[in-house]
Amino acid sequence: MADVNAQGGTGLLRAAYRIAWKDVVGDFRRRSTLAAMLFFAIAVLVVFQAAFEPDRQEATRLLPGLLWTTVLFTTLVGLGRVFQAEEEDNAFEGLLLSPLPRGVLYLGKWGGNLALTLLVEILLLPCMLVLFNVDAWGQLHQVFGVLLLGTLGLTGLGVLLAALTQAARARETLLALLLLPLVVPLLIAGVQATGNILTGGSDNGPWLQLLVTFDVVYLAMAPWGFGWLVEE
Amino acid sequence: MAELLTENVDHRYGRQRVLNGINLHAGPGGCAVLFGANGSGKSTLLALLATRYRLRGGRYRLNGLDVSTTSGETIRRQLMLLGHYTHLYGHLNALENLQFFSDLRGLIPSMEQLRTAIAAVGLDGYAERPVRGFSAGMRKRLALARVQLAMPSLLLLDEPYSALDAAGVAWLNAMLIAYLGGGGTVIMASHDPERVAALPHIPYRLEGGRLWPMSTHREEPAC
Repeated sequence: MADVNAQGGTGLLRAAYRIAWKDVVGDFRRRSTLAAMLFFAIAVLVVFQAAFEPDRQEATRLLPGLLWTTVLFTTLVGLGRVFQAEEEDNAFEGLLLSPLPRGVLYLGKWGGNLALTLLVEILLLPCMLVLFNVDAWGQLHQVFGVLLLGTLGLTGLGVLLAALTQAARARETLLALLLLPLVVPLLIAGVQATGNILTGGSDNGPWLQLLVTFDVVYLAMAPWGFGWLVEE
Repeated sequence: MAELLTENVDHRYGRQRVLNGINLHAGPGGCAVLFGANGSGKSTLLALLATRYRLRGGRYRLNGLDVSTTSGETIRRQLMLLGHYTHLYGHLNALENLQFFSDLRGLIPSMEQLRTAIAAVGLDGYAERPVRGFSAGMRKRLALARVQLAMPSLLLLDEPYSALDAAGVAWLNAMLIAYLGGGGTVIMASHDPERVAALPHIPYRLEGGRLWPMSTHREEPAC
């Protein structure tokens, strides 16, 4: 059998991919996280729509805030379950006993959560435009771009904090308490950038730069922080 | 082939000292079996040898490498710990679990090799069944199939006979004898001297945080 003794970059990427694959496949088979995130997102949208009953102009003004609020809370639902599969048969211990750098374990867990969150967003955004009767189909790809940038940082930091709180009794509350203050700048940048796209605003550069900056900071720090967290 | 040496290894949980000056040596083809009461520190010692816990006192060398100054990845590549948990995912089938394990260790087995490993532990016919439906004994067998795929130089086993039926015990002992014959090293914690008796081994007793060779008087710690 071929044995890549010192795992090179390809071997490490394959390992990270396999961890993410395991989480995504597991979720499709159990129908757990994805279903919960989708149900939650649609419920929030319906409640917002029923509560505000906005006309088209007002809906365009409200949509960025409603979109990012829904994304934030939907992401929290997913993050609360990101280490759930590892509780079975103490599987997380098995990951820690593997000869992989801790950062690769983090990348795998983050990749799985990112894939599920993006999938929900891909389904969520068209639903939102239909439900609020907002004609922004021409800007859909730009809004997706901003969502992607925001989601990278949101899930990047979120998975690290999920690892920190996984052993806590009230872990989902604790996760929200820790995550929300840290992602406020990211959310503000996301809302402003989305608003600019929908209203045809001129300069989106600074908000996009802010999103990219937070993504880089969170994603550079998180693999290192994860390694530090899981060592005993 | 593995050469394991610990000198004055300590470990504490908070203020409680669980391991106190552990000296253990096992060379290629050597099998050390740790006996001791519940809570005597056997599992802690195995977890420490697997680098799951950071070494806080004493020295630990594996194959000439000082574990304190060598990366955890390098050390963990040379060993496997099979403990009370099998670390299997219930939503994956047996083949997928082995594939997952192989990717984590950087192994590149063919599908045929994976199926052969599953058949070798008596689980042919269950390769594509979700592990969720496996009994404890079947899970243990599948976990042992991972050992056959990786063939590490050091094997750390915590109560390996639990959940195995008589045929499973005989198969496991045959596998371990072949593994030791190939120069592998085994450190095992067990409550079952009768089942271990089939293996060539050196028995130790872990008591009060100290390790004693069972063949000598208790006043002399193992070295």
